[in-house]
Amino acid sequence: MLSFLRLGLGLRARIAFAFGLGGLIVSALLSLTAYSVTRTTSLDQRAEAVERQFFNNASFVRTASLTEDASFGDILDNLPQVAGGSPIARIPDNENLWVAPRLASEDLPPELIEQVATGEGAYSMRYSRNGNHSLAIGIRVGETAVSYFEIVTLSEIESNLSSLRTTLAAASIGATVIAVLLGVWASSRALRPLATVSEAALSIAAGDLDTRIDERGDPDLDAFVGSFNDMASALETRIERDARFASDVSHELRSPLMTLRASVDVLDARKDELSERSGAALSLLSEDVTRFQRLVEDLLEISRSDAGSIDASFDSIDIVELLRHVRAATGHVDIDVQVMKSLNSPVILGDKRRLFQVVSNLLENADKYADGPVRIMLGGSEDHIRLTIDDAGPGIPKDERRLVFDRFARGVAARRRGTGGGAGLGLALVAEHVRLHHGRVWVEEVPEHQGARFVVELPRSREQ
Amino acid sequence: MGTRILTVEDDERIRTAVRFALEDEGWVVDEADSGESAIDQFSRGETDVVLIDIMLPGIDGFELCRTLRRNSDVPIIMVTARDDTHDVVAGLEAGADDYLTKPFAPKELSARIRALLRRNRPVTADASTVRIGDLEIAAEQGVVKRAGEEVHLTKTEFRLLCELASSPGKVFSRETLLEKVWGYDYFGDGRLVDVHVRRLRTKVEADPAHPRHVVTVRGMGYKIQS
Repeated sequence: MLSFLRLGLGLRARIAFAFGLGGLIVSALLSLTAYSVTRTTSLDQRAEAVERQFFNNASFVRTASLTEDASFGDILDNLPQVAGGSPIARIPDNENLWVAPRLASEDLPPELIEQVATGEGAYSMRYSRNGNHSLAIGIRVGETAVSYFEIVTLSEIESNLSSLRTTLAAASIGATVIAVLLGVWASSRALRPLATVSEAALSIAAGDLDTRIDERGDPDLDAFVGSFNDMASALETRIERDARFASDVSHELRSPLMTLRASVDVLDARKDELSERSGAALSLLSEDVTRFQRLVEDLLEISRSDAGSIDASFDSIDIVELLRHVRAATGHVDIDVQVMKSLNSPVILGDKRRLFQVVSNLLENADKYADGPVRIMLGGSEDHIRLTIDDAGPGIPKDERRLVFDRFARGVAARRRGTGGGAGLGLALVAEHVRLHHGRVWVEEVPEHQGARFVVELPRSREQ
Repeated sequence: MGTRILTVEDDERIRTAVRFALEDEGWVVDEADSGESAIDQFSRGETDVVLIDIMLPGIDGFELCRTLRRNSDVPIIMVTARDDTHDVVAGLEAGADDYLTKPFAPKELSARIRALLRRNRPVTADASTVRIGDLEIAAEQGVVKRAGEEVHLTKTEFRLLCELASSPGKVFSRETLLEKVWGYDYFGDGRLVDVHVRRLRTKVEADPAHPRHVVTVRGMGYKIQS
């Protein structure tokens, strides 16, 4: 019903609003009814009382007017007081047309005078006299042309009604406010279980897979809690199965690789005894065992990272020293590292093995696809370190720069896969490792030539 | 008489291939296909280094390691197909001196064995006896006493203690310790140091949970103090 309100308002605000609106409608309806009933009743009662007194007075006036020396002034003076009223008489034969002890004829509405003068019986009329709500009632006295009027001011009823109006309005506002507060309370109470669920979900997302919510004995909530817990269990089972699978694959693939590795090494040691053809075949075998081994390691690394079973150990790492070791290990000692002046310290908190892999994978990537790295730069600021590796290749088109970090990046890899080609997990692992360090990695162009520039930005501390 | 290596591995193909490769490296290799047979062979007293695969039928690698450790400080290298923290730490806590992940290069294994054997000859500390609190380290004799009583350390633990005791109060980073004690150049696993320090504490500290001698310097490494 209130769907138009959904825009921009939270559930809690909507519930409070609905409560408030409900409170306002109900209290306003009740107030209006109470007011109009009170108003009608009190005015009617007053009019009835006035009329009763009026008719008594009218017959008194008639009786008195039959007396010879009757002076209307005296008659009116001696009339019993109609509550809040003032008498007026109109005597057409008199020299003074109007006899009015306290009021003037102008106080009467002319229509009423006309009606009484021409019609039969009593007429009454409610009207506003000088801003006061008044009741005028008139009748012709017996068979004479004399008209007798009473003007009754209703202002004290009006002022009573006005204070009633104020009170009711205040009560309505109060009721609305209370309803809103009630709505806020009810909604936060109703939503409190959601906060528990939200906490539980966050804790699951943070890796505490055995997080569950306690049932509260509320049949409405327990169904929800039950399905949440079922979901958590299913998720836990599945993640554990994935992690176990990765681990099983690890064992299953690594064991035969062990035999292959050791056997190939034994053969390699006897390469001289082999014919040229057998030696060439052995080289192929040896290289592909290495490649296969590398692929298995990369696959395991990435599936471990997917399963969230990261056993990162963060230490203070000197990136300059790390670069020296990577260059030595990958045969790039001839490429100098340009350390920017902006770098005040090359030390960051990181996982050495993974950072090593980041740099070596980037260098190998440049070797495989872009005629090798040509420049390594290290810069940074207070809170991060920036490593850039430029290659001498043809560069990477803008729309493929993100794709190169995809696993087995197909479209790109199909073109980029070289003869000694890897399966394209290298850059995906770079992205995973950098993400683990809360850093960023991207590709841009080298300003001076057309090669690709890989940029890795790593925060100095883990918290960022 | 060459250095004898006992390889404990249930997979015959791996066992054979590793034996060939190790023999090419110049080691004498004995084979065992189970923990039970390994204990049998070890009891002959000819073994210099033990290579244990964690996944064994019957007595598993951890249990075998603990059993051997009860009576011997022979260098033990664990071989695991899983390099997750649990297996590595459990292996080291069972008493292994080092670990390798399958598939390893036979040359790497040889380097590890050489490093372990090098360590078996006590080195360091010019002074014959170093005193640190209630600890007494006689480097030459390879004897450590705590409150006058001899404490039995493995060679690796002893070497680690001597290294730390060579400069009391100086903080040694994990990297330095990996290089000096295990012979790793850059890629040693810090968990090796952590677990060995833990094991060392259970032997040389009165209250290993609140160490007084071998203390952790947060974010930097370890140091020894009296």
